Order: sequence, then structure tokens, then C-alpha cells
Amino acid sequence: MLKIENLRVKLADEDKLILDGVSLEVPKGQVHAIMGPNGSGKSTLAYVLSGRDGYQVTDGHILWNGEDLLALEPDERAAKGVFLAFQYPMEIPGVATMTFLRTAVNSVRKQRGAKEFTTPEFLKRARAEAARLNMADDMLKRPLNVGFSGGEKKRMEILQMAMLEPSLCVMDETDSGLDIDAVRVVSEGVNRLRSKDRAMLIITHYQRLLNYIVPDRVHVMAAGKIQKSGGKELALELEKSGYAEFQSRAA
Amino acid sequence: MTVAIARTKAEQAFTQNFEAAAAKLPGGPAVAAARRAAIGAFAALGLPHRRLEAWKYTDLRSALKDAPPAAVGALAWPLPTPAQLEAALEDLAALDAHRLVFVDGVYAPALSAPATLAGLRFVPLAERLAKAEGAFGAGLAPAAEEDAVVALNTAFMSDGAVIEIARGAELAKPVLLLFIRTAGEARLITTRNLLSVGANARLSLIEAHLGLPGAAAGQSNALSELAIAEAAQVTHVKVTLAGEAESHLATSRLRLAAGARYRAFQFTASTGLVRNGVALTFAGEGAKADVSGCFLGRGSEHIDTTLVIDHALAGCESRELFKGVLADRARGVFQGKVIVRPDAQKTDGKQMAQVLMLSEDAEFDSKPELEINADDVVCGHGSTSAEIDEDLLFYFRARGIAAEDARALLIESFIGEAIDKVDEALRPALMAVARRRLAQLSS
Repeated sequence: MLKIENLRVKLADEDKLILDGVSLEVPKGQVHAIMGPNGSGKSTLAYVLSGRDGYQVTDGHILWNGEDLLALEPDERAAKGVFLAFQYPMEIPGVATMTFLRTAVNSVRKQRGAKEFTTPEFLKRARAEAARLNMADDMLKRPLNVGFSGGEKKRMEILQMAMLEPSLCVMDETDSGLDIDAVRVVSEGVNRLRSKDRAMLIITHYQRLLNYIVPDRVHVMAAGKIQKSGGKELALELEKSGYAEFQSRAA
Repeated sequence: MTVAIARTKAEQAFTQNFEAAAAKLPGGPAVAAARRAAIGAFAALGLPHRRLEAWKYTDLRSALKDAPPAAVGALAWPLPTPAQLEAALEDLAALDAHRLVFVDGVYAPALSAPATLAGLRFVPLAERLAKAEGAFGAGLAPAAEEDAVVALNTAFMSDGAVIEIARGAELAKPVLLLFIRTAGEARLITTRNLLSVGANARLSLIEAHLGLPGAAAGQSNALSELAIAEAAQVTHVKVTLAGEAESHLATSRLRLAAGARYRAFQFTASTGLVRNGVALTFAGEGAKADVSGCFLGRGSEHIDTTLVIDHALAGCESRELFKGVLADRARGVFQGKVIVRPDAQKTDGKQMAQVLMLSEDAEFDSKPELEINADDVVCGHGSTSAEIDEDLLFYFRARGIAAEDARALLIESFIGEAIDKVDEALRPALMAVARRRLAQLSS
């Protein structure tokens, strides 16, 4: 279970709090959505969960299966099962996708005490997973994300997620910039990964994605706080009423 | 009125060392006269210094403290064993190439392939000089009076490869010119290669400048001239590695005839002071050249790449991409001059130099120059120097890759873009050599 308690976060070089007392619990086997307007702190939460530099936690805790995540380096968190699907996946010229994936998967497996994959084993799995996401084999040979369309980049994130077998998936605006077909493919990829051993946190601005990935709980975030939580119907309400209510409440 | 110019210790040593070596250097009376004229020209010029635009960032007058005696004539030391050669070549050893080996600047037939490769004619320079009536080389290099480094080369050259590739020949293997330093005492090693590639021929040339472990750091002066005939295709990889010398001054002169293709790649790592000077002239229309490279510096190493690409005629294309990684107090220099002459309409020239700085004390000096005298041309240049991108680093780490491995992969990817320019057959070996050097940079 993911347990966030009274989390307060600011940028390392500014005073203003971006997260101002976030508390949240995501039990294993559940999918929770965080919705909110731009600037509400959603992406910051994703970054702080994954351990990006530049943020300062002034108060609160993040516990993952009882372990203090904030004490760990980003790569150690990944080994513990944390995965962040980036809103804007990086382009890495010069590193073949396959090389990157194999390095990541074997690094994580090693840290988890699992046997590293041999190259043929790895290739087989990667190709099978790519096929499920309608990705051409050729993409695995190209430099990571270089020249990929928005949809291809997001599929690549889901491919990585599948290959790394995380237990906590954080998806930051995974639907942004996707056409409806791409949303469907990506969502199917995510739904395949739903399991009783896995917790998922889906960060999104729009309700659309939640038609495909139906959440167990929906949380509304504004001004650095969870303003309201509810069932999946909360997403539909938000679609009608917008975020104005929460923004004014926050102000 | 005569102006007395104060000469540095090194400048004086070059002149004195010439007197000591002159009688043993190869060549008949005409060559001896040319050598003497060249050392005279050098004495007048002195070593290049920062007030000369082409040497702005590499001041040899202050960098060279002395000049070691010249390596001349027969080998005074035992030949390296094949195993030593393989070790020095690292991953390049596995390459199936037609090997010509020069030990301390002298051709070593015992270590070289027999000169029987269809389409290739090879003569050691020393042999050519013995027969020469005066002219040696296609005259591509500037006269000794104009260039002090070339003057020193003419004065001291001991050997090298004179290679002719027949018209239309397509060699079965790449040609590997291996220059290896073995001497336990510091020596000046001076070599010159003269290559002419016939029309429509194809040549893959690899020039490696290496040192055996335990060889004393000395100086090298290496000059290569390539005349590439109509529609011939040449790839030319120059690898300069650690232990080779405290200073390595290399000059490449190229002339491309119409429709010729030339692709050069210079890999320079972990050596003292290196100057790779390349001057390329498009002497026919519709030719294409790519001169790219990768340099890795650490400690107080100094790696200078200076290019002059002369578009003398119309419709030619030039590409340059250099990538450097600099650690500690290393200094990188890139000077790229593209000249487009009035007749060179439809010229297409692009140049880029990018450096990754691993230390705040490293330095990169970049000076691109475009000299355009035609109106219908496309030319561009750029230069960047940056640190490792923290966002990229985070992306790797978020995928479970430890910071150190992530950094290594990122550096590899950075130079990989340049190394991708090398033929596929050679790329993995070069990458492996680079990887070994990168591990030293970050440790």
C-alpha cells in the first residue's frame, strides 16, 4: 500500500509550497486517479514519488509497503517497484531503445535479486510486449524516443512499465497529446497490468482517460491539497462542473 | 637590418637534432637538400604560436619545452611481439585488415602483411625517398616555408606508406597503417604517408597511432596526403590513443576530384597534446566529404582539431561533426573554417562541434569560420558545450539505472552520434575503445 501523509513540498530554491499537506492511501490492487487543474501540484506529486531532484520535502512522509520512499534514490525506488510514466518522455539520441530497456530491466532485476535476462530471453519478451502495444519491432532498434510521435512515446512508456514489472505505477498525464485510438491502445496496455499486487496512481487533467481505465477512487487536487475524494462517478461530475469550485475554495 | 629572433629551447633543439640526424635520414642528395631547406625554413619561422590565427588556442612555442632526438634509420630496439601489437590495438586487433606496421617511425616488414593485395601498390616512403629525384608527394602539403609543422615533417620524415590504389580497384580488406611507439627513450617520430586513389576505386584506410606500455613519451609529427581521383570513394579513420606521445602533430591534406567521396573520422583519446589539422580541397565538382570525429580528454590533455574545407568548385557537399568529452583540466579546441570560393555555387556545407564538460576546470575553445564568396550556397555551423543533462539522468534513474551507469550510458550516447558515422564493421571496436576510455574519465 502507498501511504502519503501530510506531504508538504516546495521547490528547493523557492519558498512557496507546491504541495501543502497531501494525504492519500492507495492500497495494492487498486487504481486511483488524481484529477486537477493545471498548477495544482499533480505532476509535482509524481516527481516527488519518483525522487526527482530540485524539490524539498518540508513535512510529511511517503511510505510504500511500510518503507520510507523519501530516503531512497530514484533508482532504488525503481528497484522497490516504483514506476513513473512521464508526461514528456525524454528523447535520448545515441542510445538504442533495446539497449536502454535491457540495461534498465536487468538493473532492476539484479537489485530485486532476480536473475538477469539473457539477450535472447530479453528480446523475446520485449518483442512480445511491443506487439501487444502495436509497436513495430523497428522502434526497438531506433534511439529511444527520437523522432517518435506523441503516441509512440507514450506507448514506449507503457512498454517500459510492462517490462520493469513495477508494483506502484504512477502515470503522469499519460493521455495528453494522444488521439482517441492511441488512448485506447495505451489504456489497454495499462489495464493488462492491473493486478491484485499492483497499485496505480493515474494523474490526469481530463476525465476521458478514465473511460478506458476505470479507477477505484478519484481524488481532486487543487492548490496543493486533495480537495475531495470519491468513486469513479466523481470524474464525471468534474467533467460537467469543472475545477472552478475547488480553485475558488482553495483561494 | 637583421632582426635577431630569440629561439626557444625546443626550437633550438629541433635545429640541433637535425644536424645530428641528417646523415642517417633516408633519401638521395635531392631529398637531403630539401630537408636542409626545410629546417632552414623552420629556423626562420619558429614554432607556431598563439598570434597566428590557426594556432590561436594551441601555442606550440610555449607548450613544447624541448625536442627529443629524432628516431632515424634501422631499429635500434627489438620489434614488438605480435601479442604486444594485439594488446596495443585493443578491440581494433580483431579487424580483418591489410596491416602495414611502422615501429618508431620505420617500416617493419616482419610485422606487416605481404604487399600483395590486388589493386594496392605499397612502397615504404624511405625506399621512395632513396630513389626520388627531388619531388615526393603530390605537392598537396604547403611549402615548408609556410608551415613550420610541415617544415619539420619534411626535415625529419623517416618513413611512411606510399600507396597507390589502381583505377577502379575495390580492395578486399581495409588497409591498417599502424604506427607504434616502443622506444624506452623519448624520441621524435616523423612519418609521412602519400596516397593516391585512382578513379572509381574504393579504399578503406585506418591509421592508428599507438604506444606500447612502457614506451617513453616523445613527440610525433605525422603527415598524410591523399589525392582522390574522379568518383573514387575513400573512408579514412585515424585513431590516436594514449601513450602515443607527449605531443602528436598531425597534418592531413586532401584533394578530391569530381564526384569523389571522402569520409574521415578521427578518434583521439587520452594522449598529451594533439593537433589534428585537416585541409581539404574540392578540386572537382559534385564531390562530397564528411570529416568527423570524437575526442576524449582528461588530466591536462589538450586536443586540437583544426579544419580548413575549401570549396573551390561548384556543387560540393561537406559535413563535419565533432563530439568531445572533457574531464579534469582537459582542453579541447575546434577550429573549423569553410571557404566557399566565387565559383563554388550550390555548395552545401554544415559543421557542428559539441562538447560535454565533466568538470568545471575543463575548457573548450571553438572557432567556426565561414568565408563565403558565392551567393547560391547553403552553409551552417554550430558549437555547443554542455554538462550532462540532469533531466535525462533522472529519466534513466527512474528506470532503475544507477547514477554512475546512467552517466556512462549518457556519455556513450553523446559520442555515439559521432561514432555512428564510422563504417558499421569498425563501429563496435571503436565504441569499445571509447568505452574503456570513458570509464577512466569518470573514475
